[in-house]
Amino acid sequence: MHSPELLKGTLQTILLKVLKDNGRMYGYEITQRVKELSAERILLTEGALYPTLHKLEAEGMLKTEVVTIGKRVRKYYSLTAEGKSLVKERVNELIAFIKTMENVLQVELN
Amino acid sequence: MWLAAFMQLTNDHIDYIIKDLNYRGIVADGIQEELIDHICSGVETEMSKGKKFIDAYHHILKSFGSTSGLQETQQEIIKSENQKTKIMLRNYLTIAIRNLRKHSFYTFINVAGLSIGVAVCFIILLFVINEVSYDKHFNKADQIYRIQSEIQFGGNHSFTTYNPAPMASALVANFPEVEAATRFREHGSYLVKRFDDNIKEDHVIWTDSTFFKVFDLPIIAGNAATALREPNSIAISERMAKKYFPNENALGQTLILDNKINAKVTAVYQDLPVNSHFHFDILIAMAGLEEAQRTVWYSNNFQTYMLLRKDAYIPDLDAKIKALVDKNMMPQIAELLGPDFTAEKFAAAGNKIEYKLQPLTDIHLKSSLQGEFQPNFDIAYVYLFVAIALFILTIACINFMNLSTARSANRAKEVGIRKVMGSFRLHLMRQFLSESILLSIFSFILAFGMAYLLLPLFNQLSDRHLFIPTGMPILYGVLFFAALLVGLLAGIYPAFFLSAFNPASVLKGNVSLGMKSGMIRSSLVVFQFTVSIFLVIGTLAVNRQLNYIQNKKLGFNKDQVIVVEDAYALGDKRLIFKDEIMRTGKMSSATISGYLPVSGTWRNDNPWWVDGRDPAVQENLVSLQNWQVDYDYIKTLGMHIKEGRDFSLDFPSDSSAVILNEAAVKGFNFEGEVIGSKIATFGDNAQGGPDKEHLETLTVVGILENFHFESLKQNVTPVMIFLSEKPNGNISFRFESHNTQEIITLLEKKWKEMAPGQPFTYSFLDESFGRMYSSEIRLSKVFNVFAFLAILIACLGLFALTSFTAEQRTKEIGIRKVLGASVSSIVLLLSKEFGKLILIAFALAAPLAWYGIDWWLKDYTYKTEIGVGLYLIAGVAAFLIAWLTMSFQSFKAASSDPVKSLRSE
Repeated sequence: MHSPELLKGTLQTILLKVLKDNGRMYGYEITQRVKELSAERILLTEGALYPTLHKLEAEGMLKTEVVTIGKRVRKYYSLTAEGKSLVKERVNELIAFIKTMENVLQVELN
Repeated sequence: MWLAAFMQLTNDHIDYIIKDLNYRGIVADGIQEELIDHICSGVETEMSKGKKFIDAYHHILKSFGSTSGLQETQQEIIKSENQKTKIMLRNYLTIAIRNLRKHSFYTFINVAGLSIGVAVCFIILLFVINEVSYDKHFNKADQIYRIQSEIQFGGNHSFTTYNPAPMASALVANFPEVEAATRFREHGSYLVKRFDDNIKEDHVIWTDSTFFKVFDLPIIAGNAATALREPNSIAISERMAKKYFPNENALGQTLILDNKINAKVTAVYQDLPVNSHFHFDILIAMAGLEEAQRTVWYSNNFQTYMLLRKDAYIPDLDAKIKALVDKNMMPQIAELLGPDFTAEKFAAAGNKIEYKLQPLTDIHLKSSLQGEFQPNFDIAYVYLFVAIALFILTIACINFMNLSTARSANRAKEVGIRKVMGSFRLHLMRQFLSESILLSIFSFILAFGMAYLLLPLFNQLSDRHLFIPTGMPILYGVLFFAALLVGLLAGIYPAFFLSAFNPASVLKGNVSLGMKSGMIRSSLVVFQFTVSIFLVIGTLAVNRQLNYIQNKKLGFNKDQVIVVEDAYALGDKRLIFKDEIMRTGKMSSATISGYLPVSGTWRNDNPWWVDGRDPAVQENLVSLQNWQVDYDYIKTLGMHIKEGRDFSLDFPSDSSAVILNEAAVKGFNFEGEVIGSKIATFGDNAQGGPDKEHLETLTVVGILENFHFESLKQNVTPVMIFLSEKPNGNISFRFESHNTQEIITLLEKKWKEMAPGQPFTYSFLDESFGRMYSSEIRLSKVFNVFAFLAILIACLGLFALTSFTAEQRTKEIGIRKVLGASVSSIVLLLSKEFGKLILIAFALAAPLAWYGIDWWLKDYTYKTEIGVGLYLIAGVAAFLIAWLTMSFQSFKAASSDPVKSLRSE
């Protein structure tokens, strides 16, 4: 499992990309999807996930809709137009970062 | 997706989770539901792996980090949401508006107090700006100076605006730093006509052609450089041009002044703005005035203004002027008084003639000399007004602080919860500050409207023409910043106070606030009432002094005398006019004289000495008022002869008789019997100057009791009255009838008959007398209003504070009543605390007020006694008003049904 410290800077990028690929999702679903994609190596903690989601929402990158299921209320997140344009930027940024790390650490990845 | 495969939780399970999370402190709107859904989903996943509900739940909780982790998550979410300032601000605003609306009573008190305070401040600010702007509209205002004179001579000591006629030209000729100088000479009002009808104009002055060099008034028509050069040429204001030459070009036209001067208009200048210390409408060229060409230095009749070079050094110039005066004046006096006279002896006898420069911009606020063109204001009052404005604003701000902190008991829980929910102290302070700023902005808007509506009233009260410069965008900016500042000032203390609560003790209910807490609050109430009581005492004292002046024994009877002004318009028919009016039987007596015992009438000051003494000896000279009157003067004005007799037709020799007032008798220091003594002065020579070859003597036939003829601020100075061959000036009638309208009609009808086309103007002596104190009367009125407002705002605050205490103590009151307390004892209980504060306030205010009154009264020679009684009245009044304010709420609380207050807990 990857350390949460490493994850910190990339969390927003992960959330944005996952939401871009999967459309609307709710919080728990996102954790499960990331867990699946990372083969259980990335486990999002709720304490990191929700503050980030709310922050992105407050900044206008995400929009939400609320669906009531019986006694439960489920909040779905999806990207706004602004959010969509941000995804590409963030992903490119991260790729560039990884490439830089290759040079810095003097390693070759595939 | 895979969700469908999972088993759904039962409602009981979900209820359990909701309750448990609530218990663990997950309560925030929007977050609670989301976390519940997340946990439920997690639990379902775990249960589908075969776990039992309770194990699955705890497993999921653990992944959150148990209770503390859950709370941390909640806090993090709130924090991240609030990082966007726009949202935060909106949040603050929403909460603030909700809060203010919820407590509309307190909001009302706050807004009412604050907006009244701000409106008062705003008006006073406009007033002060206006007062300090006087005469600054002249381009070179800071280079223009006037010469003031201090003359101490023959027992008289006066500060005047009057200078010798040759002063102006000598200044320009001798001192290069004087660029230009111009003189003024007043000759009272003039009758002005273009064709037939005369109109009386008050603002007429003689001046030199250099007027426009010194005062750069915009010229509308004509040439400033050549205007006013020739005798009989005049310059008129735009207002006059429109009045006498509507729709015509006034330039080159002719106006007839006083039925004798054919004056040609050589320039039309823009009207002088309101904030000028003179408002001349007609300037007459000095070239036509014979006395202006004289070279006598010891006669002071002209005002001198000059324009200095930028680099002029004033103390230097003062010294140079002194040397100039000594060089020119002293030889002239010596020539007049004999070779014994020297400047050294003159000074040794305690005499002094001194001329000093006075900046133009100081005149309105710092000058009250004899011979001012119009009444000036006093800078001390400007400071006083500013102080009052600040006091009233402070009182209003204190209301806000007191109410906010007093209500803190109710908001303590809110603060506790907010803190628990992760509010930082800074957030709370911002919240409270935004409330106070919102309130302040609202109050300012209201205050602006109030000021707009009240300004005409204030203008009437203060005799000003203030207006709100609504077209200036900077005004709104300043107002907005002032609103922010006041909101910040008023809110900063409650913000600190409230946000400092410890959430644990607050939520346990440990904070016992309300009335008992707060030395600070008590001292603020004391401060409010100290200021209010101070203002009340001050107002009472001013009113009492004015009353005293109005009713003081003046030495003459000001009532029931009507004065027909400008009798010279009747020409030689004024005696006939007087006699014909007397023949109607409506008047009891009449006199013709321009010299009346109210300021603004004629004055004439000359030195006399006891016949036989040497005039060259300074001590022998008495400078005194020389008033020319006629036979019935003393009778008509109700003066009292103390010794000797009045003038009488039975004594033909009375044409050389004189009656002195007590002050004059004292000044002459006669040897032996006063009645029958002779006094002497130099007669006039052909040029109008004194002729030392020819003495004039008068015999004293009577002594008059002293009478006041100037404001009671001044001592009674020596006066002599003697008969005039051709009495002139005003015709005063004493009448018995109480139907003044009838008297006026009678006079007017006769006037129209005898002086067709001349304006009929009259005044009542008591009203003219009252006008001498108009600035004081105005001051007292303005004071009354301010004192009232201060008390009102303070009482508003007290009202709210008491009602708040009463509300806080409803249960206590209920229990007391059940146990047998009477209504009156409860009212007493509730009022006691504030009563004490008001007593302290009184103890503080009384000495302050004493000091202030003493300062104000020092200007008056005749002052009323301000006894302890006045302080007591003010104290009791303040106490009563405050007590009535409180007792309304106290009584309401005390008489309420205990069942209601105790029923629910």
